[in-house]
Amino acid sequence: MKLLKPSWVNHNGKPIFSVDIHPDGTKFATGGQGEDSGKVVIWNMAPVLREEDEKNENIPKLLCQMDNHLACVNCVRWSNNGLYLASGGDDKLVMVWKRAAFIGPSTVFGSSSKLANVEQWRCVMILRNHTGDVMDVAWSPHDVWLASCSVDNTIVIWNARKFPDIVMTLKGHTGLVKGLTWDPVGKYIASQADDHSLKVWRTMDWQLETNITKPFSECGGTTHVLRLSWSPDGQYLVSAHAMNNSGPTAQIIERDGWKTNMDFVGHRKAVTVVKFNPKIFKKKQKNGSTPKPSCPYCCCAVGSKDRSLSVWLTSLKRPLVVIHDLFDKSIMDITWTLNGLGLLVCSMDGTVAFLDFSQDELGDPLNEEEKNSIHQNIYGKSLAITMESQLSSTIIENPEMLKYQQERQGNPNPNGAQGSGPENQTHKLTNVLNGESLEDIRKNLLKKQVETRTADGRRRITPLCIAQLDTGDFSPALFNSVPILPGSSASTQLTPQISSDSSTANSLGLRPSHDPTTTSPNKTAEENKESGTAPVNSIAMKSTLLLTSATKIEPMKALDSRFTERSKATPGVTSVPVTIGITPLDRVKDGTSVKEPKVKDETSSDSEDKIMVKSLSMAKRKGEMEGGEVVEKRKKGRPRKDAKMMPVSQPFPQTPVSVEKEPSRIATPVVVLKLPTPSIQKSFSTQVGTDSVTYLEVENEVSVVSGARLSQLKWSREGREWDTLLPSRIIIATGSSDVVAVACEDRTLSVFTACGRRLIPSIMLPAPMSALHCSGHFVMALTASATLSVWDVQKQTALVKNESLNPILSGTDATVSQSLLTQQGVAVVALSNGKTYCFNSSLETWNLIADKQDSLVQCADFRNCLSSQDALGSMGPLALTQGRNLSAGRLASRLSSTPHHLQQGITLAFLENQLSSTLILLSASEYRHWLLIYARFLVNEGYEQRLRELCQDLLGPVHKSSSSSWEPTVLGLRKRDLLTEVLPVIGQNLRFQRLFTEYQDQLELLRMK
Amino acid sequence: MAKVQVLNVAVLDNPSPFGNPFQFEITFECMEDLPEDLEWKIIYVGSAESEEYDQTLDSVLVGPVPAGRHMFVFQADAPNTALIPESDAVGVTVVLITCTYRGQEFIRIGYYVNNEYTDTELRENPPLKPDYGQLQRNILASNPRVTRFHINWEGCAEKMEDSENVDPAPNAMLPPSCTPGKAPPLGLVPDNSMDCL
Repeated sequence: MKLLKPSWVNHNGKPIFSVDIHPDGTKFATGGQGEDSGKVVIWNMAPVLREEDEKNENIPKLLCQMDNHLACVNCVRWSNNGLYLASGGDDKLVMVWKRAAFIGPSTVFGSSSKLANVEQWRCVMILRNHTGDVMDVAWSPHDVWLASCSVDNTIVIWNARKFPDIVMTLKGHTGLVKGLTWDPVGKYIASQADDHSLKVWRTMDWQLETNITKPFSECGGTTHVLRLSWSPDGQYLVSAHAMNNSGPTAQIIERDGWKTNMDFVGHRKAVTVVKFNPKIFKKKQKNGSTPKPSCPYCCCAVGSKDRSLSVWLTSLKRPLVVIHDLFDKSIMDITWTLNGLGLLVCSMDGTVAFLDFSQDELGDPLNEEEKNSIHQNIYGKSLAITMESQLSSTIIENPEMLKYQQERQGNPNPNGAQGSGPENQTHKLTNVLNGESLEDIRKNLLKKQVETRTADGRRRITPLCIAQLDTGDFSPALFNSVPILPGSSASTQLTPQISSDSSTANSLGLRPSHDPTTTSPNKTAEENKESGTAPVNSIAMKSTLLLTSATKIEPMKALDSRFTERSKATPGVTSVPVTIGITPLDRVKDGTSVKEPKVKDETSSDSEDKIMVKSLSMAKRKGEMEGGEVVEKRKKGRPRKDAKMMPVSQPFPQTPVSVEKEPSRIATPVVVLKLPTPSIQKSFSTQVGTDSVTYLEVENEVSVVSGARLSQLKWSREGREWDTLLPSRIIIATGSSDVVAVACEDRTLSVFTACGRRLIPSIMLPAPMSALHCSGHFVMALTASATLSVWDVQKQTALVKNESLNPILSGTDATVSQSLLTQQGVAVVALSNGKTYCFNSSLETWNLIADKQDSLVQCADFRNCLSSQDALGSMGPLALTQGRNLSAGRLASRLSSTPHHLQQGITLAFLENQLSSTLILLSASEYRHWLLIYARFLVNEGYEQRLRELCQDLLGPVHKSSSSSWEPTVLGLRKRDLLTEVLPVIGQNLRFQRLFTEYQDQLELLRMK
Repeated sequence: MAKVQVLNVAVLDNPSPFGNPFQFEITFECMEDLPEDLEWKIIYVGSAESEEYDQTLDSVLVGPVPAGRHMFVFQADAPNTALIPESDAVGVTVVLITCTYRGQEFIRIGYYVNNEYTDTELRENPPLKPDYGQLQRNILASNPRVTRFHINWEGCAEKMEDSENVDPAPNAMLPPSCTPGKAPPLGLVPDNSMDCL
């Protein structure tokens, strides 16, 4: 073991609270106290690793320092992909940093150190939520989430794919939360706090899995941090500060049952930080000796307030090494290199130490494949599918496969363990100077820069843009920031790679000087301007005067206060917000890219006006109908434009819920066989379809003609309207884009076209109407005697003829809770016992399509097969009946003891149920949705046979034969198109590359024909 | 966090005769498009003893400022000698560059300025009434003093300043945690406090 204390890694003597080595091993970050702010510094790793690099002055040591944090930085952590750095500090903020490539190194202006920033790291996101100091941050495996914990006693889980969205705030700690660690398998996150507890939370539902208090009951809140760590095999969690027999320990917590039987003992003061080596080791095979099967083990470093560091192997009972007096103050953070042989430690005393181990000392690190097989053995999950690092060990045989693999990994390919340094980073930032050197520009800047006068005579300078920011993926706002250059096409505007000559760049924002303005003139500025430039005859003396003598420095002290004194804003200054003084129109004409709030204001107010007009007309409509009668509740059911916001899974909706593509209706509750017909109202109105413009209004007994009372049905759409009269009172009226159906008190059903033409003479029903739905040209009727009928009024045929609900109702005391008709004319009936059935007219059977109590549903866990688009993709009758928050493995966590193969089977069965349900519901989009999830699941879990069968069915016979009964389409979707969609999914697992190639080739062949 | 970072200020035409205009080449970086202009000012401190003698040499609006790195040269005329106390004309003083956004100052860059006669004879026996024609101005460009202030980048300054002159009555309604009118203390994100203004 070698030990080094690189003295050049320091924060000018201020404490260093955190250290983290970049995943590519080329750099590391430190966080701590700066001069009067928090400080994050990124350092070059090479001078730490190699002495010759340390001596070479051409190799930079400091890469970048950021003093954006307002107060001390407590934690810095690189994302697993190495693209981002997260930092949390006493200013309650979490900042996410990303490398931006500018035109050159820069310094922090005005800072005493003259060190240039070699790399530019830019804060791309500030996460504000905590109300107290942020103590620790941690990226989840695969960088899906970022967790931060704070002295406000909470842990916030941020959506790392969509900052600054918060996934969940974990509340439960009653003291300062000072450490976080993710389970490497991704199932848990653990936190340790000053409240004498260590809590393990499930990532499944973000609920508390276990609360461990016993080993911490004696602990006092004396440590600044409590950085706990999870072993790379996931089997052990090691806490920071714990007590055993009033001696400080690091508690070992077993994943199996959260047992706390072991601990690391020996430190004389509280343990502040524990960090597991990312590698799993196995015993070094000595030459000549027969390879003995030895148990793999982990390695763990423990740092303490007693200023010493110990390194442990889980295979040994005593520490591998203990280093005392490494620092003058408490150890604050530890980080391992990815290869597992190097270790950086930082201390409150402001120094860091580097430990370099050899393989003889630690053992042979397992490669990723071996590590994965361990994971697979323990957890049954092949984590490998999402691990890039494993790819190196498998040869990709097919160029298409390579393409999918690359697409999956995304463009910025993180470097491997031996990554070759900064030049690999993508330089998205473009130099807009186009050939002209910065020096040339500087020479002429004063002449070249555009200066105008505002109407009140103030000078206005258009700054020369010398570099644009890259469009960080967290900051869509910046995307719009690319200046719209005259003559540049729309496509180039979208890419940041715009270059233009400097004069064009100069001219952006150039404006006629006669801008109208509302500002009151700034007198002082004007006066100063008018005083004119009268150059006093100049004596060109080049003697540089250095202020070195003591007498000269003295008056400066008197002046010092003037530097920091904050100028009180004079009235003239406060007018700044108005001094832009240009009308929005002018701005638009100029084509500048600057956001113009006025324009936005105008448009928004404009749309508000429209809304106002709308609601006015609505109010008017209401007024027309009111007349002392109860306005039907349904009136409120205006469809929302945003389908995402719709409450889809209301079990007993009182108001009709309309779905964007599914103009189906949900009926009012019905008690079967007990005449639960809707009560007759004097007047009511409903909406038709999803467009908010079509209304059906019913007014019963509107007029009396020769003794007969007539009821009026009125249809209106954007001013067009028709009405018709019916001899009986109307109970239910409903419509679709094609037809309007009306059920009357006298058990008749009338059907009209959308233009009001009667399609069929009144249909006589066997019982009063209970629920009535229209969808497309289908009409569904549910009568009070529990029979179902569905007609296709266009073809004038019955799809379902007085089918009894007895098969689904008998033996239960359930009632129909809702019913709907899909656009394909499939009737769906949901019962109050949570079961949902549809009637298949070709099989003439009731089919169970959803069951809220179904244990399969509750235990299936396919969340890792969901892609982000999928979440929105499944809108349709199945989603509607099953409810959106279809548990998705909600209960699976409670059955954590369930063997993996059982869970696998459950999920498989569930997904196959879903697929067949979508088929029977004729819901094409949902079929596609579930097919892709199913395929992903098969790929993830390695069901090759089923995958092959699926592909075979989608592909069909390659050669035409008359005997084949293969249908080329399913629900109107071409099967081979579906296969084209499924193949990339298969392409994501290298295990199936032969299968992928096989079907890819056949598809290609068929396409050629 | 500040949306605008000043990356560099280069002092041009330095040293120069006292009457030459000041020239500062300012490079700054902006995190995102600014809907409003930045206002830059050069303030010449006439006397260390009192603010009374401060002269705002010029103020200039800089905009539009899209996200990115920008530079410009801020040129302002030499101070009006009539406003400088005679005793303070020769010797060390300060020139300040300030930048405000929405009326809030977020950076103040100070330079020591040494005004001296170039002529040795004059230097040893300075005339009672300063001879500005013979004075040379030397800005100690290598040692800027930078002070950064945290401001509310989103909100409007007028609101913050107005509240200073508002009747106490409406403020009585404010929750005790909200200190109206004061610039937010360091580290406090002003977004929240704006809600109650």
